[in-house]
Amino acid sequence: MYSHKADAKALLDDRGYSGALIRGQNPALLIEKAVRDRITESYYWKEQCFGLNAATLCDRAIELTFVGGTYGGMGKPTPFLCLVFKLLQLVPEKDVILEYLNFGGDGDGGEEEEENGNGVGEHQRSAQRGEFKYLRALAAFYIRLAWEPVEIYQTLEPLLSDYRKLKRRTRDGFTLTYMDQFVDDLLTKDRMCATSLWKLPSRANLEDLEMLDPRISPLGDEIDELDAEDVDMEKRDRPQDSEDDVREVRNGSAVKYSGSGSEKD
Amino acid sequence: MNSSDKRGAYGGNAPAGGDTAFRKQWDRAEYEERAREQEKKQKEEGKARYEAALQGKKYHRRASTPPDARDTEARSSRLDVASMVGKTMLVPAGAAVGKRGKGAGFYCGECDLTFKDNIQYIEHLNSRQHLIATGQSGEVKRATADEVRQRLLWLKRKREEESKEQVVDLGARLEVAKEVEEREREEKRRKRNEKRRKTKDGLGHAEIKLENDGIIC
Repeated sequence: MYSHKADAKALLDDRGYSGALIRGQNPALLIEKAVRDRITESYYWKEQCFGLNAATLCDRAIELTFVGGTYGGMGKPTPFLCLVFKLLQLVPEKDVILEYLNFGGDGDGGEEEEENGNGVGEHQRSAQRGEFKYLRALAAFYIRLAWEPVEIYQTLEPLLSDYRKLKRRTRDGFTLTYMDQFVDDLLTKDRMCATSLWKLPSRANLEDLEMLDPRISPLGDEIDELDAEDVDMEKRDRPQDSEDDVREVRNGSAVKYSGSGSEKD
Repeated sequence: MNSSDKRGAYGGNAPAGGDTAFRKQWDRAEYEERAREQEKKQKEEGKARYEAALQGKKYHRRASTPPDARDTEARSSRLDVASMVGKTMLVPAGAAVGKRGKGAGFYCGECDLTFKDNIQYIEHLNSRQHLIATGQSGEVKRATADEVRQRLLWLKRKREEESKEQVVDLGARLEVAKEVEEREREEKRRKRNEKRRKTKDGLGHAEIKLENDGIIC
C-alpha cells in the first residue's frame, strides 16, 4: 500500500473497511464512539489533520503543548487526541513509530548508543533521546493502543527514566505531570486521555509465561537496600511483642512512604 | 483505355483515387488498434463485473483518475480565516442567496462557491468536489521511516535557527522593536502619500467627521 486516503471516510466506514487491522479489528474502534465523533467534528481535525502522512504528522506533533483527552463543557478533544486518532488511521510501520519515540537529533548517534548500551546505562541514554517530548508521548500512547503486550513493555519501560515535565489538560484546567508518570499510567491504568485502554496482561503474568525477562530497575541495588531496611526495622520492633507498638511503627512507615512519594511528585 | 490517360467526367486530370477520391480515406491500422483497445476494455469490465457478482456486490463503473492528478498533501499553514475582518467588499446584489458565485463570505475560486462560515469552508476544501477541481487525487503518499527521520532532522534545524534569532538582551530587544515600529510608520506614510496622489488636486480625501464616530450607542 503506497498511499492512503486524505480523509477518514474509509476508516469510519464500519461495514466496508478494508485497511490495516489492529488485533483483528478496525483501529478506529480503539477510541470510543462518542469521543471518535467529537474528534471528527472538531475543527483541528478538519483543518490540521487532513492529508497528513507519517512525515507531515511530525510538523503538527512538535507544535503540541499539552497532552490530554477532552476538555471544556462540550468535551472538546485535544490536538493530542486528534493526532492519536490520525495515527490509528495511518497505522505506520514499527520503525516509523520507533523513530518518533527515540529520535535523537544528531545524524548517526542512535545506532552507536544501542550497541554498547544495556541495563542502567541504556536507561539513562534512552531518556536523553526523544528530542520532542510531546511527539514521544504521542508515540508512547499509540504503542500502548496498537502493539502487542511484550513489545509494549519492552519499548515503553526505558521511558520510565525520562523525567521531563509534561502539561496535561484536564476537563477544566491544566495539571503538571512527567513523562515517566505518563508512561507508568499507560502501563498500569485502564483509562487515560478519554480513551479506555485495552486490558494489558500484567508484567508479572508475562514473566511467569517467560515471555519477558524481569525488569532491572534503574535504581539498581538501592531497592534491595530499602527492602533490607524495612526488614531490619520490623525485626527490631518484634522482640517487644506488643501488638500496639508494631501497628504504630507500621503506620509510621506507611506515613513515611507516602510522604516521600509526594515529595517526588 | 489505360490508366495513364484517365480523365475525369468533366475533362481535366482525375485525382489519384479516380472519381471516388473525395471520400474519406480510412487509416486501417489506426482503427484496428482502436477496436482492439475497445474490446480489451470491455473484456476487463466484464471480468470486474463477474468478480463483483461473485462477491455479492454491485459493480459500479467509475471514471479513471486523470493521469496528471497529483497526490493530496497536508496543509502547509493554518487556514487564515481572519484576513478579511474589518474589510469592506462590494458583492453583487443577487449573491446573498445560495453558494454559487462570489458573495460575502469565504470564497473558493476553483469551485466558484461561497461559504458563510469557516466550518463549511474547510469541509468544502476537504471534499471530493474541491479535490477534483484542483487536480488532486485525494490520496496521500505513504512516508517511509527514512523520510520521517529527515523530516524530524529538518524540523530540529528549523527550531534551532528560530531560537537563535530570539534575543534575550533587553537593549537589543528595544532596538529591534524600534526598527519594526519605524518600518511600520514608513509603510503607513507611503500608503498615505499614494492615496493623496490618486486624488485630482493632490490634497487627499477630505475626512468626514461624524458625531459619535465609532461609538455604538
